[in-house]
Amino acid sequence: MASGTNLSESLNPATSSEAVKRAELSEIDASTKIPALFFLCSALGWILIGTIFALIASFKMHTPGFLGDAEWLTFGRVRTAHLNAVIYGWASNASFLVIIWLMARLSRSLLRHPILLLTAGVFWNVGVTIGIYGILTGDSTSIEWLEIPPYATPLLFVAYALMGVWAVIMFRFGKSPHIYVSQWYILAALFWFPWIYSVAQIMTIWAPARGTVQALVNWWFAHNVLGLWFTPIGLASVYYFLPKVLGKPIHSYYLSVLGFWSLAIFYNWAGVHHLVGGPVPAWVQTAGIAASIMMLIPVVVTGINHHMTMIGSFNALRYSPTLRFIVFGAVNYTLVSVIGSFMSLRGWAEITHFTQHTIAHAHHGLYAFFTMVMFGAIYYILPRLLLKEWPSAALISVHFWATAVGSLIMVLVLTVGGFHQGLLLNTPKLANTLGLQPGTDPVPFLEVVRVMNKYLVSRSLSGILIFVGHLAFAVNVVWMLLKPRSAEVTAPTLFRNPPEMEVVTR
Amino acid sequence: MKTPDPREHNTRIEQAGASDESIQDVHAILAREKPEPHEGYSPMPLFVLGFVSAIIFIGAIYIVRHRAGFDPLAYDERYDPSMAATNAAPVKVDPIAEGKKLFMTCAACHQPTGQGVPGVFPPLVKSEWVNGSEDRVIRILLNGLSGPVKVEGNTYNNAMPAFGPGGYGWSDEKISYILTYVRQEWGNTGAPITPEKVAEIRKAVGQRKPWAAEELEAIK
Repeated sequence: MASGTNLSESLNPATSSEAVKRAELSEIDASTKIPALFFLCSALGWILIGTIFALIASFKMHTPGFLGDAEWLTFGRVRTAHLNAVIYGWASNASFLVIIWLMARLSRSLLRHPILLLTAGVFWNVGVTIGIYGILTGDSTSIEWLEIPPYATPLLFVAYALMGVWAVIMFRFGKSPHIYVSQWYILAALFWFPWIYSVAQIMTIWAPARGTVQALVNWWFAHNVLGLWFTPIGLASVYYFLPKVLGKPIHSYYLSVLGFWSLAIFYNWAGVHHLVGGPVPAWVQTAGIAASIMMLIPVVVTGINHHMTMIGSFNALRYSPTLRFIVFGAVNYTLVSVIGSFMSLRGWAEITHFTQHTIAHAHHGLYAFFTMVMFGAIYYILPRLLLKEWPSAALISVHFWATAVGSLIMVLVLTVGGFHQGLLLNTPKLANTLGLQPGTDPVPFLEVVRVMNKYLVSRSLSGILIFVGHLAFAVNVVWMLLKPRSAEVTAPTLFRNPPEMEVVTR
Repeated sequence: MKTPDPREHNTRIEQAGASDESIQDVHAILAREKPEPHEGYSPMPLFVLGFVSAIIFIGAIYIVRHRAGFDPLAYDERYDPSMAATNAAPVKVDPIAEGKKLFMTCAACHQPTGQGVPGVFPPLVKSEWVNGSEDRVIRILLNGLSGPVKVEGNTYNNAMPAFGPGGYGWSDEKISYILTYVRQEWGNTGAPITPEKVAEIRKAVGQRKPWAAEELEAIK
């Protein structure tokens, strides 16, 4: 900072090379605005719809008569609609938002022809809408995670292909000489998703493989849609927003490399652990379980990398909404993955498979990790797209606490409940623990249902809490979209003012 | 020489407009954000090396212990092909027990007691056909029998279906079990019949119309 040119830069910040970069970023952000806003609004719509489906399904678990005479809302349909609305509606739209915005920024590439991308986004959402409608009218396929009826899936695939190609083009023609770790993950996910989706569609629906191979393909897909699609996007966001908000580099490039490649190598094998104990050759299950054990490597390595970056800056969690969501998600990524590795073990799966334990794990991964990271990303991205501040810190606070506490309660309750359920179903000699007469062993199935009731009611309550959080989020987003842009210098919307205001530190 | 205009190619002068206060205000959100993230190059902690090695070791042990011989037909991870080979003994079949199960089919006519139905279905108990020549009784089973036949002094005129080629298609083993059973049950004293003998006759006769009693009587 001692040379002559830098002296003039320090006198007039607008002429500094940093300012040139900022101007470029501003231009890039602006080029992504229309499609990014579209993906955000669709994602927001789908998460509200998906949560309502989830609540209906959850109530039916303990109050079977609830909406019992509505054919469209029977459990089998509404639960499936929930799954597909949050996966293909919320999570994928949020992913597209993050992919486009991050890819444009990190590649230093303007988004060309945003209207074409918008069209692809519209097609994707039309596809999801037709799919959900089909599921509700009873056209769902019987393949879990691929329930969207075959008349809607080609639309999804074509729409995806267009979006994927767009992001790859941005990467290819970007000006950035360096490929940042977030880009590795995004780029990989962009190729992994069409691979798993097309193979799974073909081998389970269009030209079904016979016998257990079909089940293997099904769970290979269902596990990889989390591991090779949502997880990379989630991790890309953590890798970007953590150092971005803190203003310091990611701890170690070497750990990033190890984490990325070990995830790429091992994740794709792990899906078979969903079939432990099933009619699948034992060695295939063993390979899946071994891969699940190996998944500890990327998880721990990535966890260390994030933690070492975060160390010394935990204070920032007190004021930055983005950071709070991102860190909550990153911590839960480590937790859920470590638990997942243990869940794959035969001894553990024996108890927890086909119980609520699995549901807890799914929500832990997709909600407490992925969704929370996406919320954090949106809190950072939206002000840059709209050049406005978030209208209400209180609503952000409500959003964070309701979703964080809600998801943790849900995960905890179902994890414990699932264990209890599994033990009762497996072990015939537990009647005494329920206060039943000796001699009523094995525990009658209806008793297991009765025991589960309290866990299921708690799950519904936690779901209501999460829904409240989503409403707060939705109100904040809509308010922000509608409010006029301030002409003055504005301050960021934080939970509280940091010791040194973020504005001052540029 | 012309002195170069200092403003020429000086991009900073063009950017001076960007210092306009109103533009700065609008871009305040962008201006205040931290620089784009980059990686640090801290070396990997030694702990990671040990951890990765340990996990690879555990994963390898797990595969070796639960590989079940990489056998596509082994569904139990405790299956060990080397043990399976030493433990396996030739499967012993009790022809009487197997025959008793198969007799369900015969009992429809000959009755579970083997007594038949007087005037309609001939008895098997003490029957000279059952206890007599192997060659005859195997032929009856394989190809069937129709027309009048004299059993224990009574004449029956009915049709017995073929259980061999062209009929029920039973294997040599099944036919040998059922015959051994009826030849030794209810106080019958016929010798057991081997699958090899059935195969020999099946080969000699092949598929044909049901036998008549006289034709069989011509055979030893």
